[in-house]
Amino acid sequence: MHEGSVTTQIVENVLEEAKKHEAKRVAEVHLVIGKLTFLNPEQVRFWYEVLTKDTIMEGSKLRIEEKNGLVKCSECGYEGGFKYEDDPIYHVPTPTLRCPKCGGIVEIVGGRDCLIKSVKLIV
Amino acid sequence: MREVVKAEEGEVYDIELEADILRANERLAEENKELLRKHRVVAIDVMGAIGSGKTSLIEKMVEALKEKYRMAAFKGDLTTTIDAELIGRHGVEVVAINTGKECHLDANLVRKAFQKIDLEKTDVLFIENVGNLICPAEFPLGSEKRVVVVSVTEGPYMVVKHPFIFMEADVVVFNKVDLAQAMGVDVKKLQADVEKVNPRARIVATNCRSGEGVKEVIEALGL
Repeated sequence: MHEGSVTTQIVENVLEEAKKHEAKRVAEVHLVIGKLTFLNPEQVRFWYEVLTKDTIMEGSKLRIEEKNGLVKCSECGYEGGFKYEDDPIYHVPTPTLRCPKCGGIVEIVGGRDCLIKSVKLIV
Repeated sequence: MREVVKAEEGEVYDIELEADILRANERLAEENKELLRKHRVVAIDVMGAIGSGKTSLIEKMVEALKEKYRMAAFKGDLTTTIDAELIGRHGVEVVAINTGKECHLDANLVRKAFQKIDLEKTDVLFIENVGNLICPAEFPLGSEKRVVVVSVTEGPYMVVKHPFIFMEADVVVFNKVDLAQAMGVDVKKLQADVEKVNPRARIVATNCRSGEGVKEVIEALGL
């Protein structure tokens, strides 16, 4: 959801950076999208193509790296993916805030960011 | 004078940006939290499905706490002020926040609304979000506690379909329990779903029209 407004911000950020360096064109943008952002990479690509048209970003390569949700257990120190529980009635694997190692309660510590990691500019 | 190194034309600059696009709202939410703490205001986010009873819950809580706390409420909605007026009928200061087309409140809109009330003269602030079980989860507002309200009339799958908003909740309210039988919804199964997804959350069943369960919600919120 919100891929349109997020991609608009991404394009604005990159164009601003390109302007700072007086770049002639933008060759590549490396994006890291956390899976808990609910941002669909396909839609981000679609908006990227639309929004970069007629700018120095047109034709640039968009590299999207996805990051999984990360949880941390304050009791045993586990840091990793969610514990999923299969529902016997609905057969839906549901993510939970339980530690897969010790059963304690975990906190979400990653997978919620949308980061412009780096850009390649042609000066 | 040292030689100035200039880039060759056509040279590729690889720039590490690490620009976090979604950080802006988080930062504002943290600022909001600081401001609320400074004025000793306890802010409670009330999120939930469309028509689940968020406004009714706030109305009932305001009635119950009128003598105990000085209260105010923010109500987020697209364009109307219907719910804001309903809450206002109970004699509390209400600010209607119209988001236009945006499907959730964000920290910036809440910050703007702070200017319309006297935070020094407020003990408890209810912030009712736009009816939506998806987006509000990703947009913290700076509140102390978050409540998620769903009702039995939305059927049995709301929790497993929207686990992430339930992970945000300090208190989960299942409203309209008087209609559970008519809907064929097992409230105990819904409670088990929440316990599975978020073992921390306090769960309360309510009938906000009669007021049943509201006292427990107030107690669960520490008010």
